[in-house]
Amino acid sequence: MQKNRVAFIADADSPSAKAIAKRLADLGMSLVLNSPSCGERIGQDVKALQDQGAKIQIVTSPLTSTQAVKGVLNEIIERFGRLDVLIHNIDVLQPTSIEACDESLYADLIDQNVKTAFLCTQIMGAQMAVHQHGKIIYVSSIHDEKPTGSSFPYALAKGAVKMLCKEAALDLGRDGVTVNLIEMGPVDGDNVKFASPISSVYEHYDHKIPSVVMGTYDDLAELVGFMAVFRSNFLNGADVRLDGGFTLHYMDHKMRETPVMEA
Amino acid sequence: MERKVALITGAGTGIGKGIAVELAKIGYNIGVNYNSSEQGALDTISRIEEVGGEGLLVRADVSDKEQVTQMVKAVVDRFGGIDVLVNNAAMQTNLSLRDYDEEKYDRVMNINLKGYFFCTQAVIPFMKAHRHGRIINISSVHGKRPTDFDTVYAMTKGGIKMLTRESAIELAKYGMTVNTIEPGAVDIGVKSGNPRPIVSKEAAVKMQRRSSKSQYPLGRVGKPQDVGHMVAYMVSDQTEFLSGASIRLDGASMLM
Repeated sequence: MQKNRVAFIADADSPSAKAIAKRLADLGMSLVLNSPSCGERIGQDVKALQDQGAKIQIVTSPLTSTQAVKGVLNEIIERFGRLDVLIHNIDVLQPTSIEACDESLYADLIDQNVKTAFLCTQIMGAQMAVHQHGKIIYVSSIHDEKPTGSSFPYALAKGAVKMLCKEAALDLGRDGVTVNLIEMGPVDGDNVKFASPISSVYEHYDHKIPSVVMGTYDDLAELVGFMAVFRSNFLNGADVRLDGGFTLHYMDHKMRETPVMEA
Repeated sequence: MERKVALITGAGTGIGKGIAVELAKIGYNIGVNYNSSEQGALDTISRIEEVGGEGLLVRADVSDKEQVTQMVKAVVDRFGGIDVLVNNAAMQTNLSLRDYDEEKYDRVMNINLKGYFFCTQAVIPFMKAHRHGRIINISSVHGKRPTDFDTVYAMTKGGIKMLTRESAIELAKYGMTVNTIEPGAVDIGVKSGNPRPIVSKEAAVKMQRRSSKSQYPLGRVGKPQDVGHMVAYMVSDQTEFLSGASIRLDGASMLM
């Protein structure tokens, strides 16, 4: 158990957050949930976690400025006196093209996906470094390597965060903080999220996973849970692709028709 | 033979200058972009003229969309089109993760990444009209290997990797190709930015000794003209099927 450990989740309203929060609470961690909806969208989930004994703090911040991130860190320190785990799971996508994208949309997507990651890493990572321990985990995407064909700023952002991970793994690693990244692959509905007029990556996307078993946020949460505890201390600067083999696929005629069933 | 046209950003110094000269040698007129290195850019123009080319000096901050638009228009007005864009203008602060402030973060992200996007977007109409165009993004080995001395610089190089891949698949329909060169250490003379922060004098001497003996298998760092030669190859007729690629150009130093 990770009693007395405190984890911060950067976007508690996002689809990935519910499973991650549950997993970390199961590990005994207290949770600070950054909720853009001020807790409205996650009220029931928070109550369920509190009923199982988890200590929860809700904060609301865009995390796009130094001042904003410092403000959140101050709130965390005031309430819990420490921060052990940062989960950066902000994942904002809007369809656009290089030819047509305007500056404000580009800036918004880069700021939300990259600047928040940088500032949280810099400011919260420095706090962890003082105590010579900590875990930073980015929930990123396979699109830090695979182009989307639907939202280039999103892919640029993921490419930038991938290098942030490696830089921070060296810089903060010397102070006992490990920094890792998950390249999340397809979950149900990603064919709509990443619908592209150019790329065919998400056509028959479930069948491009060799087992034809789609990933879930519970799969993600399991990996986050491992990365967030001491057992993973030697894992640092890694980017772990969590996609069931999806991005390895290219021979359509070899796709399975039906999902592999457990015996 | 009619001369082709290339626009090179950050062509007043180092790698950009080396590329400009090499492209001029193979028959290009060059739009020489600079922002603060006017003397360097004038020298680039002289060197272009020495090898029989024509250069146009175009000052623009690549992080400013309007200035980029005007820069591209100036090159097209003077030379009649743009065949090649080389995105090269970049800023390196040599600040580590904890030493960056927000203003410097924004500045590096805007020049090194947004600037590449703006320039790419600005040349599309002209390349699209001719159903042909080559874009070369100058990145760095630090798009894959961390610098350990400039966090945001490496982040922008990671972003450029994806800009190249996204551009390659989006712009292929217009007959355009987009590729990246990832140079390793290149001797560019005077360097911008702060000195590398965590390197003591003793460590620097040790690094230099190590550099010459074991870090560079070919016994030297790169030269600007090495990058120029690669660009010249990548814009040639032999590479029309090359797109979305990243070519590491480091004399195998990344493997050491």
